[in-house]
Amino acid sequence: MTNAGHMIIFSLVIGLVGLAVVTAAQEEDPATVSAALAPRAEGLVIARCSVCHSPDLIAQQRLPRPRWEATVEKMKHWGAEISDDETDLLVRYLSARYHPGAPDHLSPLDSELRKAEPLTQEPVAEGPLTGVAVRGAGIFEHNCQGCHGTGATGGMGPKLAKNPILKHEDLFWETVLHGRGPMPAWGSVLSRQDIADIHAWLLAR
Amino acid sequence: MIISRRSLFSRILQGLGVSLIVNQHLPVAQAAGEESARDESGPLIVRVTRPFDAETPVREFTSFLTPNHRFFVRSHFGPPPPEAVSEANWKLRVGGLVEGSHEFTLTDLRQMEAVTITAVVQCSGNGRAFHRPKVPGVQWERGAVGNAQWTGVRLRDVLGTAAVQAGARHVQFQGADRPVVASVPLFTRSIPLKKALHPDTILAYEMNGRPLPILHGAPLRVITPGWMADSCTKWLTEITVQADESTGYYMQTAYRLPTTPVEPGASASGQSTPVEAMVVKSLIAAPQEDETVKSGPVAIQGMAWSGEAKVVKVEVSLDEGKTWESARLIGEDHPYAWRQWQLVWNPRTAGTFTILCRATDVRGETQPATSPWNPSGFLWNGWDRVSVTVAL
Repeated sequence: MTNAGHMIIFSLVIGLVGLAVVTAAQEEDPATVSAALAPRAEGLVIARCSVCHSPDLIAQQRLPRPRWEATVEKMKHWGAEISDDETDLLVRYLSARYHPGAPDHLSPLDSELRKAEPLTQEPVAEGPLTGVAVRGAGIFEHNCQGCHGTGATGGMGPKLAKNPILKHEDLFWETVLHGRGPMPAWGSVLSRQDIADIHAWLLAR
Repeated sequence: MIISRRSLFSRILQGLGVSLIVNQHLPVAQAAGEESARDESGPLIVRVTRPFDAETPVREFTSFLTPNHRFFVRSHFGPPPPEAVSEANWKLRVGGLVEGSHEFTLTDLRQMEAVTITAVVQCSGNGRAFHRPKVPGVQWERGAVGNAQWTGVRLRDVLGTAAVQAGARHVQFQGADRPVVASVPLFTRSIPLKKALHPDTILAYEMNGRPLPILHGAPLRVITPGWMADSCTKWLTEITVQADESTGYYMQTAYRLPTTPVEPGASASGQSTPVEAMVVKSLIAAPQEDETVKSGPVAIQGMAWSGEAKVVKVEVSLDEGKTWESARLIGEDHPYAWRQWQLVWNPRTAGTFTILCRATDVRGETQPATSPWNPSGFLWNGWDRVSVTVAL
C-alpha cells in the first residue's frame, strides 16, 4: 500500500474515532440529556410528584443516580403513581439535571411547560367531549386533590365543588390547560378526555 | 379584648406571610428548576413552597427572641385544616399505659399551672446544605433555628393526671397534620419517658406571649428543651404512653444517626440511634455575608447554644482558624436559650476577610471545622463563616 493509502486509512480511523468520541460526549453530557428529556419529565414532575410537594424541593437536590433511584422508589412505595417507563424517564432526567456537579443556580429550561409533550397521546377528538364522572373521580384524586382537597372541598387551592367556574366551561378549560396564578398548566399532563371527566365529576359534587 | 397595633400588625403579617410568598413563586418556574426560593429580602427564605418550609435570614438573629412571623417553619405535610384545630373542635387525648383514658380541652390545659421556658428550637437538618457529598432533603443553610419563649403546661402534669402505669418507657406524640395521599406514613414520634417527665418538657400553647400561630403548631405543640425539633410535635392531638419507641418511618428510619461513623457518600445501614439533643453550635449574625464594613471598630455579633449544656466560650478567628480570640458573652442567660456574644474587631487594612466562629460548652465540647458526614445530613455544627469586605 502506498503512503497516501496509509494516510487515507489513518485519517478515516482518526475521523471515526473522533466522531464516536463526539457522539458519546453528546450522549452523556448531562445538560444535553436533561434538555432532551425535560418536556416529558417536567410534565411528570407536575403530575406525579407535585401532588404531595412543590417541585422546588426537587430542584434543590444534587444527587448521584443511585440516590435518585432510591428516592423515586421511596416515593412509589409511598403511593406516587409512577409506571416503570415513567420511573426510567424520571431517574434519567433527574440524575442528568440535578447531579452532584450541577451548579447551585441552574439556568432555566428553554422549553416552556405549556409546550411540553402530552403524556397521553390520543387522537384529536372530533366534536364535543362527553365527560364520564366516574372516571373523573379517580383522575381528580391523583392530580387535583393535593391542592383542592378531598371531595374538592378546598385546601391550598380553592374549593371546586359548586364553584361558579364549573358553569363557565371556557374559563374552566382555560384554567386547567394553561394554569392561573399559582396553579400550574395541566395541558401537558391531562388529556382532553381526562379534563372533561374531571369536569363532569365536579359538576355532580 | 384590646390588641395593640403592633401585635395586630404581627398577626396580619403571620396570616399574610404564607400566601404572599406562595403567590410570588409560581410553581411553573419551580418546575423548570429555577431557584426561585433564593430571595433573602423577605421575612423568611422559602425552601419549599408546599408543604411550606422556610428559614430565618441570619440577620434576624441579632435579636435575642426570634419573632413568630420570622421563626423558621418546617413540617412534613403542612398545617391541618384550621377547623380541625379550632378551639371548639380540638381535644388532646391521652391513652396507652395510663389509668383510664383522658381528654383535655384547651380550657382544661389553661387551668393547669402555666410555665414559660425560653428555648432554642432547631431543625435536625439545619445546615444540611453544607455536608459534602450532598445529601437528600430540604437544603437548609443556617436559619432553621430560632429562640422563643414557650408557655404551656408541663407534660408530666398532664401525664400525672392520667397516672402512668408500670412498664411505660416511651411517650408517643401524634399531631393533626395528614399527608395528601393516605399511603404516606403519618409523622408519629416518641421520646423516652425520662425526657417526657422532665419538668422542663412542656406542651406549649403560647409562643413569645401570643397564641401559638398555626404554622408553629396551634393550638398545642411539644417543646423538648435542648432537643432537636423533630421531637417537638406540632398540632398535637394524641399522646400514647407505651413500652417501646414508636414504630413507623419517622421514628425507625428517618431522624436517626448511625452509631458508628460512616464513609461519606455511603447509604444508611447498620445500627442507628434517634436524633435527640442538639450539639454545640454558634452563628455570626452581624456583619452579614458579603457586607462592606468601614475600617475602625466593627462589632462582630451572634449567638451560641448547646442542647442540654451551657455555652461557656465563643471564639472568633480572622485567619482561617490558625488563631482564635474569645468573644464576650452578653445578654440574657437561660438554660435552653441561646447566648448572645460580641467581639469588637479593628480592621486596619482594606480587603476581603473571612470571619469564623466556634463555641464550646461546659462539657468541653467544641464545634468542629466540619461536622461528621451522615446519610441524612443531620446535626451540622461546623464553624460558622462569613466573608466581608473592609473599605478604608
